[in-house]
Amino acid sequence: MKHRRWLRPLTLLLVASLAASACGGGRDDDDDDASGDGDDGGELATGPGFDGETIRLGVVTPTSGPVAIIGNPLTAGNEAYWEYVNEELGGVAGQYPVELVIEDSAYDPPTAVQKYNEIKGDVVMFNQLLGTPIVNAVLEQLNGDGIVAQPATLDAFWVREPNLIPIGAPYQIQAINGIDWYVNEGGGEGSTICALLQDDPYGEAGREGIDFALENLGLELGVAATFPVGNPDFTSQISQLQGADCDAVWLTSTPTDTGTALGKAAELGFTPQWLGQSPSWIGALGESALGPYLQENYLWISEGPEYGDESVEGMAELVRIQETYSEQEPDIYFNFGYNEAKAVHQVLEQAVEMGDLSREGILAALESIEEFSYDGLLGDYGWGAAEDRDPPRANSIFKPNPDEPIGLELVLESHEAPYAADFEFGG
Amino acid sequence: MSGAALVAVITGEDVLQTAFSGIALGCKYALIALGFSIIFKATGVINFAQGGFVLIGAYFTYNVTQTWEQNFYLSVVLAMAGGALLGVLVEMLVLRRLVNESPVTVIMVTIGILFVIDNVTTAIWGPDNRNLGDPWGIRTRELAGVSVALRDMWTIAFAAAVLAAFFVFFRYSALGLAMRATAIDPEAAMAQGIPARRVHRVSWAIAGAVAALAGAALASGAGQLSPATGALALAAFPAIILGGLDSPLGAVVGGLIIGVVQQMTALFAPEHFAWVGNSFELVSPYLVMIVILLIRPYGLFGTREVRRA
Amino acid sequence: MTATLTHPFRRGGPAPEQVLSYADDIRLLRGPRRSPWRWIFLAAAAALYWFLPTYYVGDAGLRTLAMCGIFAIGAIGLNLLIGYTGQVSLGHAFFVGAGAYTAAYFGGERGWPMPAYLALAVLIGFVVGGVIGPFALRLRGNYLVIVTLGLVFLGEHLWTNWESVTGGGNGVSLREAPMALGPLDFATGIEIGGEAYTFEQSFFWLVWALVAVVALLAKNLVRTRPGRAMQAVRDRDLSAEVIGVSLARYKVGAFAWSSAYAALAGALYGLLQQYISPLEFGLLLSITYLAMIIIGGLGTIFGSVLGALFVWGGRSMIEQNSSQAIFDPLIDTGTGDSGLFTVGEFNNVLFGLAIVLFLLFEPRGLAAFWLRIKTWFLTWPFSY
Repeated sequence: MKHRRWLRPLTLLLVASLAASACGGGRDDDDDDASGDGDDGGELATGPGFDGETIRLGVVTPTSGPVAIIGNPLTAGNEAYWEYVNEELGGVAGQYPVELVIEDSAYDPPTAVQKYNEIKGDVVMFNQLLGTPIVNAVLEQLNGDGIVAQPATLDAFWVREPNLIPIGAPYQIQAINGIDWYVNEGGGEGSTICALLQDDPYGEAGREGIDFALENLGLELGVAATFPVGNPDFTSQISQLQGADCDAVWLTSTPTDTGTALGKAAELGFTPQWLGQSPSWIGALGESALGPYLQENYLWISEGPEYGDESVEGMAELVRIQETYSEQEPDIYFNFGYNEAKAVHQVLEQAVEMGDLSREGILAALESIEEFSYDGLLGDYGWGAAEDRDPPRANSIFKPNPDEPIGLELVLESHEAPYAADFEFGG
Repeated sequence: MSGAALVAVITGEDVLQTAFSGIALGCKYALIALGFSIIFKATGVINFAQGGFVLIGAYFTYNVTQTWEQNFYLSVVLAMAGGALLGVLVEMLVLRRLVNESPVTVIMVTIGILFVIDNVTTAIWGPDNRNLGDPWGIRTRELAGVSVALRDMWTIAFAAAVLAAFFVFFRYSALGLAMRATAIDPEAAMAQGIPARRVHRVSWAIAGAVAALAGAALASGAGQLSPATGALALAAFPAIILGGLDSPLGAVVGGLIIGVVQQMTALFAPEHFAWVGNSFELVSPYLVMIVILLIRPYGLFGTREVRRA
Repeated sequence: MTATLTHPFRRGGPAPEQVLSYADDIRLLRGPRRSPWRWIFLAAAAALYWFLPTYYVGDAGLRTLAMCGIFAIGAIGLNLLIGYTGQVSLGHAFFVGAGAYTAAYFGGERGWPMPAYLALAVLIGFVVGGVIGPFALRLRGNYLVIVTLGLVFLGEHLWTNWESVTGGGNGVSLREAPMALGPLDFATGIEIGGEAYTFEQSFFWLVWALVAVVALLAKNLVRTRPGRAMQAVRDRDLSAEVIGVSLARYKVGAFAWSSAYAALAGALYGLLQQYISPLEFGLLLSITYLAMIIIGGLGTIFGSVLGALFVWGGRSMIEQNSSQAIFDPLIDTGTGDSGLFTVGEFNNVLFGLAIVLFLLFEPRGLAAFWLRIKTWFLTWPFSY
């Protein structure tokens, strides 16, 4: 029996270390070991996420929880585009297929930071980081690690961030163009402009654009009512707007709140021209009992051509790729994800051309790009070093129409307020 | 934030309209709170999963009326039956084993159930916003100078009907009497031959059914059915505590108070108390609740607990 | 624990777990006297502490483990309040937030040295907890639960609107917060004996050293007079008062201590994440903490640590393995398998189920499993 006394602690140590190695999955993701050392990929320098054959891209997006409604179609857009690149073009530069590493952020910052760290050693860059709080939470580390990522939000904070590739006209520009169009062309001359805003940075972004537009138009804001996300009843907000005799209201909201707010407005007989920032819309709204009211009073401010307009080269391709490679129904967020992948594709092609797919190589490739082009799906994005970047400045106006594939009909494509180019993005 | 904006004058009409909206909102809270209070009255359990019942009840209604294309009111009734079944199931599988456990145990179990229900619901129906398909639309009636939405009138009617039904049930039915007896003294009630287990089960069934009704009321309107539909249940906590956990009448009165306080805060705070910050209506119900609890630790209508050393 | 009269290793003398004196009763380390076990455990723990970061676990894994450690600190605090004193609180996230924002403001904004702002975070946590504590004197049970729930919403409102300190809804960065402790700079990774280690390795050591300190302090608290008073309050506060335990002192004290722990956890959380925003300190965080102490074991310090490891570590383990074949019918990873749940949903369902199943079948939590294993070995060969 004596020898067993010695065995027990040994066994325990063994069990403990086994458990530990099972938890950690081995010390294999040391991220600095492989950089810039082109051993088996010809003359192309490899790095984390690229083994000389397959390029791996990270996606940190909510696939669970309420925001999955945006995350899922957006990721489907990423996937369909890369499927197309792999199948029809043979991969990036015709020879390097792309693989996505998708992680669920649950739209929760600590979870997202953890996911980011788990996969950052396995990917060359991030094709998608969804949501302003998520990008903010990851940004410090992203910069420290020297990794490039795509923020799937239209906030203006990202324009001057060296490691981020935002796409499209930011919310501020949406508000500027939407209000300018309404006042000058949409029959809103001499009217009172108001705002209904979510009480957070997303609402602030709309507010900045409104203030800028009104200043240039020489107008005063009627009233700005705010509300918290998930507000159950908008009577007091609508009363404020009604009391100020608003003719048009800029709306910064998400779909559930759009339904509640405009439902209450309809019930109270309040019929201004609603101008909705792009995330305020979802197809279900048009099919609801509120549909007729929306067709009458709501306009959606976004970018690009009408869905399915095959006269636009990029749109014809998008529709074909979506039908061939995806089961996703037509969806505005699918388009967003598709465009994201398109931008990343340009970066990767450039990096391959420059012969370096390490983190440094991708950053260098990103800086050397002069313009991101989206074949008419979105405005072209002037590029270069962070301080030279210049987002598109034009937006399109849509109105609800249940007969269209995504429930929206184009009113006017690419309106650009004459002063939209003067809006300065902070550094 | 609205520093540069013009000040909108708040008229008497606004106040009246807002007060009414507070009552309508309060009835939504009341519908949720009534479900809480019947479980608490019968079993002493504070059920955090009530929001999950509300959510799944709304999806039941949606499924019957939209997917199976049945009449809306019939769908609500069927969803209530489904909700009752779910309540019984939860009682039989879980809560039955936790009679007389400490509050933390029971609360955490119901929170665990909430996680399961919420995520299974989303897995089945997806995260999209949907239209419940209620027949109320955006129609309104004019009542004493106030424009009243049909949807809100139905919500108020639901709350009133449930409260009346509870009153009749507790007052005149044998089971209701048994429930009251069990609530006052479980051991004495059992000694009298009152079937405690059946009392518990029935209370969970009723709570499930009421939750489904609340779900239908909350998810009506444009694009309002989504995984966030049950979230309002969290906002209903001040209502049930304010009224007193074990009192259905308290649930309704508490709901109305909270609804009106919340709507009035939203109306007045931006103009007159801007220093309290944006969206103060999210916290004002809790402040009212805390003040009232410090004066009356068992709420307005709650039963004072007898403490024995 | 079932006592055995004879120990396999020894003849005569008192049974190993027998309590002979008051000193025995309050011993820090229970277990057979003169047994080598405690030293073996300490050695094993020290070995893990050193070798896990250096040999076994990568940086991402170390982050997960550091996060587990941070949760463990907060969970120990919550266990003092709930497990030992019986005051159920859903407000823990508020205190965690208070600590995190203290670190962000005094560390990130003003550049105080790390020991100073960590100490201040603990102090602020203690004071805020002491201010909230008196509510527990007036309110009991479920009513207290809901009032503390309100605290979480008040906190979110405060963090969002007190922009000059918290950065408002945009959140605030802790990138600039100094993290040096004498010659050891954790921000860039420490250097020991000429060897440079990564931030993750260094931070792992920092956090788990603090876990050890904090656990020891808590253990000391609960095994002595205040601990017994707290447990008396938990078991029946009226009786405790009758025999002379001051309810005011111990209820308020428990709140103060528990929130001091929470604030330390919050400050460390901020340092690990380097960026914080108001929504992170919501109800979900409070629930996560509660789940940890329930799954770990109410009323045990060790259980709090186990619970933190199980809940936070378990999540990431499932996420890493979600694409494996056994999960195919359940989890849809978007790679063609058509499971019912997404990974996040599956994890949430498991989280919920774990809470329910533990409360139904092992209400004493993981700590009880541990005790059972220990008993099995101690009573061997008569174990059953």
